[in-house]
Amino acid sequence: MPLLTVQANSDELSISFTIGQCLRSILDSTTMRVRSGCRGTGACGLCRILIRQGSGNLPTRNEHIQLSREQLAAGIRLACQFLPTEDVVVELLNPAPPSNWKSLGQEIIRPASLQNPSRTFPVSTTSPLGIAVDLGTTNISLALYDLFTGKRLTERHGINPQAIFGADVMTRLVAAAESVDIARKMSSVIFAALAEAFQDIGSREGYDLRQTIYLAVVGNTAMLSLLTGKNHGLLLNPEMWEKMIPCEPDQSADQAVQLGTHPEVKLEVIPPLAGFVGSDLLAGVLAMHLAEHSDPALFIDFGTNTEIALWDGHQLLVTSAAGGPAFEGCGISCGMPAEPGAIYRITDQDSDALTFAVIDEISPARGLCGSGFVDLVACLCNNGTISATGKFLSGAGVTEYVLPLPATALRLNKRDIDMMQRAKAAVATGVTVLLEKAGLRALDLHRVCLAGAFGKYIRIASAKAIGLVPNIDEKHFELCGNTALSGCEDFLLSSDVASRLESLRSAARLINLSKIPDFDELFFENLFFRPMTNG
Amino acid sequence: MMGSVMQPLISALLEGERVGALTATKRLRAEGLSRERIITEGIEIAMAALDEKCTLEQFNLLEIMLVGRALSAVVDFLYPEGSQPPKTKGTVAIASLHGDIHDIGKKIVIMVLAANGYRIIDCGKDCPVDKLVNTAVNEGAMAVMVSGLITSVIPQVRQIKAALEEKGQGNVKVLAGGAALKQVSAHDLQVDYVAQTAFDGFHFLKEKL
Repeated sequence: MPLLTVQANSDELSISFTIGQCLRSILDSTTMRVRSGCRGTGACGLCRILIRQGSGNLPTRNEHIQLSREQLAAGIRLACQFLPTEDVVVELLNPAPPSNWKSLGQEIIRPASLQNPSRTFPVSTTSPLGIAVDLGTTNISLALYDLFTGKRLTERHGINPQAIFGADVMTRLVAAAESVDIARKMSSVIFAALAEAFQDIGSREGYDLRQTIYLAVVGNTAMLSLLTGKNHGLLLNPEMWEKMIPCEPDQSADQAVQLGTHPEVKLEVIPPLAGFVGSDLLAGVLAMHLAEHSDPALFIDFGTNTEIALWDGHQLLVTSAAGGPAFEGCGISCGMPAEPGAIYRITDQDSDALTFAVIDEISPARGLCGSGFVDLVACLCNNGTISATGKFLSGAGVTEYVLPLPATALRLNKRDIDMMQRAKAAVATGVTVLLEKAGLRALDLHRVCLAGAFGKYIRIASAKAIGLVPNIDEKHFELCGNTALSGCEDFLLSSDVASRLESLRSAARLINLSKIPDFDELFFENLFFRPMTNG
Repeated sequence: MMGSVMQPLISALLEGERVGALTATKRLRAEGLSRERIITEGIEIAMAALDEKCTLEQFNLLEIMLVGRALSAVVDFLYPEGSQPPKTKGTVAIASLHGDIHDIGKKIVIMVLAANGYRIIDCGKDCPVDKLVNTAVNEGAMAVMVSGLITSVIPQVRQIKAALEEKGQGNVKVLAGGAALKQVSAHDLQVDYVAQTAFDGFHFLKEKL
């Protein structure tokens, strides 16, 4: 793929791209973006760039209108009109202010039933907009919709700013319990982050977010209760984890002002199922249509807390397994999120030599993301570098493995392996327990849906080999990406989806892993790197 | 010289090989070695080696659990149920407190202490403070240990020492450990010691009692 090098002020960045994309959309996935006042039609003329090297399409009609002959002769173009056809070096003449929000250009296929939105709204505006939000512990994702046409207009992904109060849910809940002020602050940083995302959309794409009349939010129970300031203290008591935790928001005019939405915006927090199972899981099950067939189907949404649902044809068995953030590339010595520069795939098809694939082909690689980590462990087990117990077999006292990559010092140590063992054992134990409770075997499963950022890149063969997912034919697996956001989008558009959500709630049966008598034994068995038994 | 006789047992234990450790133990017994010597010159040496390695972060959870299983198999063989228990260095009552259902850290502590000749009364997980303190008093424990993975158990930890003093057992040592508790000072938790690892806790017991 050709390479784009971008310069702005004193920053520089390189990214590979597919021919046919305009420069603006290539830049949208990066931190260096152009300022814009229209939706990339060439109408505003703000996204000026200087082509220093390389070439692309000839200037378009709109560029001839927006730019002078001298400017065009000097190599100045509009980022939304310029389609590079080879390696190019460009300078941003009008860079957008730095934003914590990125657009990943994720392709979304909507079911036909949702192409005609079926919601009615009490508020009348000329062109009503709606926003679906997936409020995760680490990340926030959102999508903007035209509620009349059901068209998906744009999306944003950013970091949850609550992380300053603690990386994990429990630490944040304890912090919120300490003082009312902290709890209030934890809620307001989320509203501030959403406001920033909305502003980013408004200033860069020209949508009038004051037309936003509907906001739907899904998330894990802790995130939702911290957002609304309702009942988060209850979550510190394990007895409440299987109970309903009400977290309806109090709506105030101030909120709408802060968010920059329509003054009568409806903020709908989709209620979680229970203390330890959020509405993000329900949304995911909804988006995957898991419960609409009689065939057994398994759904795994990977995260720091991995949520698992098993549909047995009648009821939805649901659990949550706390495995730690290894799947997100966190907490491991050479780990990183699935961002440019991350090794996301490792294969060993040619004898012992490993082949590495890096997101955006950035060299040298900066680290391993979750899927790369799973691949690496599977390859090292396969070629005898580590044992099923996680011991380095390459020699007495060896405690690390150096990745055979030029110009990097990436290495995998004992602690990293321990993290992976615990994380995957937690998930595999959850799956095993749900199957047992439903009286099913892994071989009975018709579908296995893997969700989450990690569930997008994961190589099924590796995940099966180390015993992270059931050891059944690959044809049953589906890689689904962020299903929580998809489900929330469905909900935003259709009142029919809202009623499906309610029937899902009544079909749900909570399984608390900590109350399973042989949990420790199952967890121990699943710590080994070996395929799960199909019992 | 003893080292070489014990070596197969020590190696098998450190590798977490249950069958190998049992075979080695049976051979030692057949050669006429006493149970006490197998404990002090085999098992305790293996544990000391594990101790050194653990500080180097060379063992993962699974390997430690495998060692624990091999060890229990050997101890169960040497002292089958009903036989006179080995001479102990003292009794320790241990629990994860009410609201905490995490058990693995506690199991590692039990393994380390049992292998080093302590008698352990395991009060289990999700255990109320009353139950732990009563058990400690009734069993004549020299120490009470609590393992806490979640921060919300801290207020309960603070009650333990006072509850023991109320029963006239203020000399019973209280030790805390686990991911949540080891970030807090002993003073703040009102305990005698905050152990960073299972072995750290064991060293405290060995030195202070």
